[in-house]
Formats: sequence, C-alpha cells, structure tokens
Amino acid sequence: MEQSPIASADLPPTDSAALDRLKRFGGVKLLREMISLFLTAAPERLAAVRTGLGTGDAEAVERALHSLKSSSAQLGAMRMQRLSEQGEHRVREGSMDGLAQLADELDLELTRVRAWLMTASTEGTT
Amino acid sequence: MTTIAIVEDNADNRLLLQAILDGLYDLVEYENGTDALAGLASSLPDLVLLDISLPGMDGNEILARLRTDEALRKLPVIALTAHAMSGDREKYLAAGFNDYITKPIVDETILLSAIERWLTESQAGRT
Repeated sequence: MEQSPIASADLPPTDSAALDRLKRFGGVKLLREMISLFLTAAPERLAAVRTGLGTGDAEAVERALHSLKSSSAQLGAMRMQRLSEQGEHRVREGSMDGLAQLADELDLELTRVRAWLMTASTEGTT
Repeated sequence: MTTIAIVEDNADNRLLLQAILDGLYDLVEYENGTDALAGLASSLPDLVLLDISLPGMDGNEILARLRTDEALRKLPVIALTAHAMSGDREKYLAAGFNDYITKPIVDETILLSAIERWLTESQAGRT
C-alpha cells in the first residue's frame, strides 16, 4: 500500500522559517538547544515506535508518533511531521498496517533532517 | 510574581515555553500527571499549561481530577496540544479547559494573550 499521499510529494520537506522563529523566541542559543534535543529525542521516539509495533502497543506507538510530529513541526521538519501524522492517524483509526514501512521512511527522513539541522546549528543561520 | 505551572513530558517543548515565558512569569515544571497533581496541590500556581499527550495519566484525566478537587477546581488551565483536528477546540473547552493552544507554537502572542486573559479572569473571580 502506498503510504504517502501523492499531494504531499510536492510539498517542501523543510521550512527554514521555523528555525528563524526559534531564534526570535530565544536566539541562536535556543535554536541550537532545540536542535540538540530533537536529534537526541527523535531516534528514541522512532525506537519507541518500533518497540510498540513489536509488542502491539498501539498507545505507545501513537504517543511516540505524536511526539515526533510535534517536535518536527516546531523545527520545520515538515515532511517528517507529515509522515508522523499519517502514522498517528492510522493508529488512532485502529490500524497498525504499513507502520513498519512508515518507520523506515521516517528513518530515512531523519537522516536528511539531521544533515539540514546540523548545518543550521553550525551556522546559527538558515 | 505570577506563577505558571507547565505540565509537559517533552524536553524540547518545555525549553521552548521557558524561552517564551521566562522573565514574564515564575515557572514550575512537571513531566507527568502524578507529579503535577501532587505539586499543584502543595503549591498552587496562578495558571496551568497542560499538555494533552502525556504518558500514563493524560491531560484530559489530569484536568478532570483538578476540576473535582475543591482546592484546585478554579485554576485556569490552558490545553497545549498538537492534535489540532477540526472540532478539537470545542471538545477541550467542553471538557473544562479554559483555553486551547495548538503546537507548534508559531505566534507566541496567541499564547501570551491567552495566558493574560485567563489570569485576569481568574483574578476578577477571586475578588
């Protein structure tokens, strides 16, 4: 089953305005701390998704995807937000079908997002 | 200074709220419902920012407990949620939340004006 709606393929994967916003809230210091927390937490949440899938714990999977969605959105990782949200909705509708594949997609996306955020963190700019 | 309690399990969200609210209010943070209910009962803040998606006791359950506790039931409580489905706002307000703020926080003035509005209402209710 195709997981990603065709419509979302044309949407931008990242939004640097989110990083500018964080700088407005708390300067480069906040931006760097938020990036650092995200890069620590996101792999943990993805691991929690996989653990939950393995044990059939739908609530844990939904909560991990929800956290991932929320954190990605705040940092402008828009494609990651959309993927997490799709998974979250699927679990809420009572299905865990295709979520292992979605977790793989999220892993790939995290690699891209990490590179993007590392650059932003180093430069302190977008 | 006015004290705001933040109930939020994600460190990144707590950090962001600190960045926006620090210096304006005294902040107290709780990472889960059990700690929050114990802490709020022993040290009453002026307002609570309550995340909905928490491990164990979620925000809805925490709110229900606050609203049935004589000492805590009048606390202004603002829901913080990344759910943002249509009809969510009505659902949370009907459940007894005073207000509802969606994450990600894009415009901090929406959060700040909601806080100020409910602090004012709360103070008016006490006099």
